[in-house]
Amino acid sequence: MIKKIKIFLVSCLIASVLGGQEIPPLNLSEDGSIQVLSLRRENGTRIRYPDALPSLLQLINESSRVSFDPFPLFIESLTDERLFEHPILYINCDELPNFEFSNEENQALRRYMELGGFVYLDAGIKASFLGADLGHSYAAWEERPEVRQWFDQVLPGQSFNPLPRNHEIFRTFYKGLPDNEYLRLEESQKRLPDTVLTFVEQEKWPQGTYSLVGLKVRDRLACLASPICAMGWGRDEFGAWLPPISFRIRESAENFDETLQMASFTGKTFEVTREDGLKDIIYQIPGQRPLWVQEPTGRWRIFKYYSGEEISNYAHSFYARLGMNVFLYALLN
Amino acid sequence: MGKNLFLFCGLVALGFSAVAQEQSNQFPLPLGAGGPSAAPIAGAPVLTRSSTSSTMEDAARDLQSPAESERVGAAKLLGKYPGAQATHLLIGVLDDPSELVRRAAIVSLVEHINTGSFYSIGQPIYEKIFSKIGDVDVEVRRAVTALIPRLAFRLVQSFSQQTVINGRVVYRNTPGGLRSDLEALARKALEDPDAVVRQNMLKHHTILRIQILPNVLARLLDDNDKGVVLEAIDQARRYGSHIEIQQKFSALTKHPDAGVRSKLSRVSQMLSRSDSFYRSILRTLTDDPADEVATLAIIDLARVGEKVSPPMLLRIEEFLSQSKGFYGNAENLFFSLPVLGSKASGIYKALLDHPSSRMRAEAWAKFLLPVRASEDSSVWLNGLKDRDSEVREVILMTMRGRIQEATEADLQALLANKNAEVRSFGAELLLVADEELAKEQFFNFLIDENNLVRSTTLRVLARRKMDNWIMLHIRSLDDDEVQIQQAALDGLLSDSGEGTSALLEYVRKFPSHPISEAARRELLRKGIHP
Repeated sequence: MIKKIKIFLVSCLIASVLGGQEIPPLNLSEDGSIQVLSLRRENGTRIRYPDALPSLLQLINESSRVSFDPFPLFIESLTDERLFEHPILYINCDELPNFEFSNEENQALRRYMELGGFVYLDAGIKASFLGADLGHSYAAWEERPEVRQWFDQVLPGQSFNPLPRNHEIFRTFYKGLPDNEYLRLEESQKRLPDTVLTFVEQEKWPQGTYSLVGLKVRDRLACLASPICAMGWGRDEFGAWLPPISFRIRESAENFDETLQMASFTGKTFEVTREDGLKDIIYQIPGQRPLWVQEPTGRWRIFKYYSGEEISNYAHSFYARLGMNVFLYALLN
Repeated sequence: MGKNLFLFCGLVALGFSAVAQEQSNQFPLPLGAGGPSAAPIAGAPVLTRSSTSSTMEDAARDLQSPAESERVGAAKLLGKYPGAQATHLLIGVLDDPSELVRRAAIVSLVEHINTGSFYSIGQPIYEKIFSKIGDVDVEVRRAVTALIPRLAFRLVQSFSQQTVINGRVVYRNTPGGLRSDLEALARKALEDPDAVVRQNMLKHHTILRIQILPNVLARLLDDNDKGVVLEAIDQARRYGSHIEIQQKFSALTKHPDAGVRSKLSRVSQMLSRSDSFYRSILRTLTDDPADEVATLAIIDLARVGEKVSPPMLLRIEEFLSQSKGFYGNAENLFFSLPVLGSKASGIYKALLDHPSSRMRAEAWAKFLLPVRASEDSSVWLNGLKDRDSEVREVILMTMRGRIQEATEADLQALLANKNAEVRSFGAELLLVADEELAKEQFFNFLIDENNLVRSTTLRVLARRKMDNWIMLHIRSLDDDEVQIQQAALDGLLSDSGEGTSALLEYVRKFPSHPISEAARRELLRKGIHP
């Protein structure tokens, strides 16, 4: 692992030479750890998960031989000269007050990616029906419209594409879903309700994958967008995960294809892009959680919501493992 | 013939649609409303959505179906229709022989409760749901125990009772509390085979107004599930005087998990206020092999007034010095240091060179706070050489306004700093420098490459009204930088005598200069017509 990081640092240097431009040397902490940059606007909205990124970086330090500075370096603008001294830029899109970036910022971001920087847009995917609700994630398979408009200015003519389920990013460090051993559960304990576990394993996060879209610069994945993952990274002083996370599960039952077509409904519908590019139609009554979904296959399923400590712990473990994979992939590629 | 039949069917369908609309007072939506991909397929029969009442009727019928899958489907669907009718239907299947139906019903009831539509339901309904805490299916038990905070207020409600005694109507309040049979179920759930159920019950038992027997809590403190043990330690705050609990606490000081021992320290600190036994637990934990546990215990002991020995202070210092950043245990410990009083200053000093910029910044803020620290300028001048702007900013904020007199060495050190905000601070200090020294040094600041430093110097000159300050300000009105022009304008305006006159003269002489427009506005505001 250390060797690979050295290769990365050398490749940064080569990139700067090949690019014919002088860039500042990579800025490591005094103890040699890597510091992650985080964009946080001065007049940003409320910070929802302040413990998230430090907890995740600490987890990476504890679980691997990589050394991250657990405390990210916050910058207010992408024109901050320190941008080019750090290999990873983390942006929680839900914490941005808006998506207004100056031309200078967009140029700096483009140059950053061209020179080998990696941009992680957490909450860069957000299904339209979630609206202003920041506490939910939904596995849509396209970047949110604001991100699309922003990157049209950063890299005109290029677009985000869904990452395939067999992408290396899902196997960089952890592979598959957390098992009982990882969760430190006794064999006799049930980790998730049967219905929940089946859906998670087969549809929600098959083999530990998730809905990610990425944008390549010079054939390298330089920008990644995901539904909000930071909510799954934080820990309190006793090592307990926070905040609690619940699951939205699609369930079917006898005759639901007919029942849900006919059942009383007075709300709105929203289209959400699926992994295969087709659209799910979500049925929702404003102010309530989504009711059910009409899938393009003609299948109708109902949304059910499950909560509890075992569910929350499982979700946190998944998001933390995914987060580790993303940050380590960013370092190594 | 065929065409006539089609027309007839269409009219009948329209008629049914109109009836449904009347019944439900809502719009019948064509299928897939809102989505282009959901547009009705040409030639397919056009269906309309049914009304809420007819959806309910269908679900009620399906709940009675002999087919388990139909009952499950109906129970799931009813979760989407919060209201008394759907709730009562779901309550009716909580004793269904199928565990799948019971699970679906309880999950749907949770949906109703979460939508806030449940409060009009009577106490017996709440009691019925709570009684499922004894269900044979673990998923149902988990769901019910997680719901306790939402159910409890009705389960333990007291009522006013009207009785007639010797012909007189007497009103009495019945005591609030859990029904005795339900209390027995709740006590049983504390020792449920499932750890999630045990943990939920521990967490919520107080709002059900039941007390845990000391021997039961002692067993839970010995649980094989970490989550249950942590919760049991937390709840032990209420039962600390029992000898069984104290014995378990002693045993838990050797628990292999550092998180459990940390929790033990925190709860022992709370209990030690009323029971000295728990100080002995804290003393034991000060020798814990894990630094985060030991340091927490040391601080907790200090909180209850015990002396902290030099080796203990050193352990805190080492733990914080070796921490990777300013978060989690290190952050909590740092903010607890004030309980050590003046002894904490040595720890703050040791952290001034910490690799984490945040830690350095916080340490500087605390270290410089005592008045004495500001007397020795070499201390904070050294800190202003920090590579991180956050650290420098904290030092500047802490020192601003607290320096009585600036020396030549101070000003030169600040002037030599490579960061503009520090040099600007040096310019600010010209205000508290000796007059001769200020005269000697101001020019060095005035020719600085940075606008902020120069503009600050101009403002200081105006404030002190140093020799030739008006001339310098008038010349600065012609500077290329707006920031300098503005500082010069502000300085001249601040002096209603010579400064304002000089400005007036300048405006009349150079009416088209960019700053003249702003100057005219300001002069007019002061009642002076340029």
